[in-house]
Amino acid sequence: MSLLDIQDLSIHFITENGAVKAVNGISLHVDEGRTLGLVGETGAGKTTTALGILRLVPEPGKILSGSITYKGEDILTMSEKEVQDLRGNEISMIFQDPMTALNPVMTVGDQIAEVITRHQHCSSVECQQRMLEILDKVGISSDRAKDYPHQFSGGMKQRIVIAIALACNPKLLLADEPTTALDVTIQAQVLRMINDLKKELGTAMLLITHDLGIVAESCDDVAIMYAGNIVEYGSVEAVFDHTAHPYTVGLFGSLPRLDVDVEFLSPIPGLMPDPINLPSGCPFHPRCKLATRECMEAMPEAQELAPDHIVRCHHARQASDPGTVLGDPAIRRPPLWTQH
Amino acid sequence: MEHLLEAKELSKYYTTPNGPLHAVEQVSFTVDEKTTLGVVGESGCGKSTLGRVLVGLLDATGGDFFFEGENVTHPDKKKRKELRRKMQIIFQDPYSSLDPRMCVSDLIAEPLKALKLARGATLEKKVQELMDTVGLARRFAYSYPHELDGGRRQRIGIARALSVDPKFIVCDEPVSALDVSIQAQVLNLLKELQIEKGLTYVFITHNLSVVKHISHDILVMYCGCMVEKCPSKELFAQPLHPYTKGLLAAIPIPSLHVKKPDIVLSGEVTSPVNPKPGCRFAARCPYVSDLCKQEMPKPQELAPGHFVACHRAKEINSL
Repeated sequence: MSLLDIQDLSIHFITENGAVKAVNGISLHVDEGRTLGLVGETGAGKTTTALGILRLVPEPGKILSGSITYKGEDILTMSEKEVQDLRGNEISMIFQDPMTALNPVMTVGDQIAEVITRHQHCSSVECQQRMLEILDKVGISSDRAKDYPHQFSGGMKQRIVIAIALACNPKLLLADEPTTALDVTIQAQVLRMINDLKKELGTAMLLITHDLGIVAESCDDVAIMYAGNIVEYGSVEAVFDHTAHPYTVGLFGSLPRLDVDVEFLSPIPGLMPDPINLPSGCPFHPRCKLATRECMEAMPEAQELAPDHIVRCHHARQASDPGTVLGDPAIRRPPLWTQH
Repeated sequence: MEHLLEAKELSKYYTTPNGPLHAVEQVSFTVDEKTTLGVVGESGCGKSTLGRVLVGLLDATGGDFFFEGENVTHPDKKKRKELRRKMQIIFQDPYSSLDPRMCVSDLIAEPLKALKLARGATLEKKVQELMDTVGLARRFAYSYPHELDGGRRQRIGIARALSVDPKFIVCDEPVSALDVSIQAQVLNLLKELQIEKGLTYVFITHNLSVVKHISHDILVMYCGCMVEKCPSKELFAQPLHPYTKGLLAAIPIPSLHVKKPDIVLSGEVTSPVNPKPGCRFAARCPYVSDLCKQEMPKPQELAPGHFVACHRAKEINSL
């Protein structure tokens, strides 16, 4: 059984202009001790998914359907008290922006101790001790426990956010772009630290990122999201070496690479669709070079190309084959997007 | 051959309550016509300051800067105006660098009006041509920036820079606020424009994959100083400075079949306020010696066109 099992989850934000369809029927699972990368561009629904797992989706967001099973229990049917006992204890989250995730008027030591006090039944002396231990684990010297967040650099702040997340030895860590705000050399330090601690503590992780490089280095499995759907899902080996969805192919083609030389990149034409007004059928069809009438009319079912490799595309088998004849150009995108 | 740009020991200090902040320290380089010099470094290394000094938005504290062979470090008002037609800048953040109360066509027309280069029907025609050039549909002419996405806004920034037909453009992180699929569209556009119009770029970015893709030469900065400068291919094939090596090793590569050197630089960038003598990288350098802590290394040419500012570069790389 998986540690976390999400089935058919839909989260919409009900606004004056209509429902913003942020997450549309996604299914995924995270197994114990493994790392699942959740990849997508801005607005793909990655962060909303993570917030949904902790039942922290802000107003006017609504979890419409689906189930989120953690250790056999559905988080969506738990009482508020039960969810609070999970948060920070069994499941914790590392937020993207360390500059705003910390309380500016509380010492970092107190902020770490706060989580321990809430969840562990221990004396304040023990609590302090554990706080210093975890601070040491993330590579910050214990004499800085009485400092305030503004006295730390960005990389150090992110270490503190990680210390708070790991303070109660959670079973599952939701990391929302943990290194996006950091410089590359600091990113490398922080990623290495997360991976080492994960191994040491046996924590499973859902790593949200837009960087396929980070996925290649830190994840076991990967799910590619587009417009609230998981379009491709599988082991890192399957998705990287046997890429099957045209969107994933496009993402790889858009990346300037250190290891490959190309004169011009091959970007995906057009823009992300408006989540209030998603295209009919497959949401990617207006930008897809394989699109046919079928794509315009019906949302493709998830199909298993190989064990551990699931793709939602009518033409999945062709997309991975470079010799394919392209789809019907008349179907491709309404005039609105052609002129970009 | 004559270089289009030449910087000689260019420096820029800011005054702070705690002492001078050495944002750019004696940086020297040349850029040939129709080529791109990529400037890379992490946040706070002085790359944006350098870009602004080049286009005259900031006044250099020391050193000289030559454009088309002429010293333009401290030009007078008339000369400055003349230079505005020849050098332009594209800013990082397409969200804050455009006036929210001007529509697209006004934004693109603004530089032309300011320099009195066109008016009336000619101006209108020129604006339309520019929108075509950067791939903005004409129906957006009367849209406001907030109605457009980041990629389109950045195209407005590019159109504004191109409007006066400059020879040289400083691109200050033009794609870092954009998603990868849009980033690729903008990078291709900049490359096409360079070929079509014979532009010269100084391309500032923190993203080494982007800089490799677009640059002919690359200058690596660390804490205000130039640490390495060489042709793009050479930098990635054979980095000579210990910082460059660490920086390259830190970049995650989206492939499962690439083996990277296992270097993780420890520590963080030292403060550029009242810096200690010696090499700025000394505190993080795995090869640090006593000399490094006392004397700032001067760039030396270790291979043709390959400059490295490191006392121990020869030794480390066994050259």
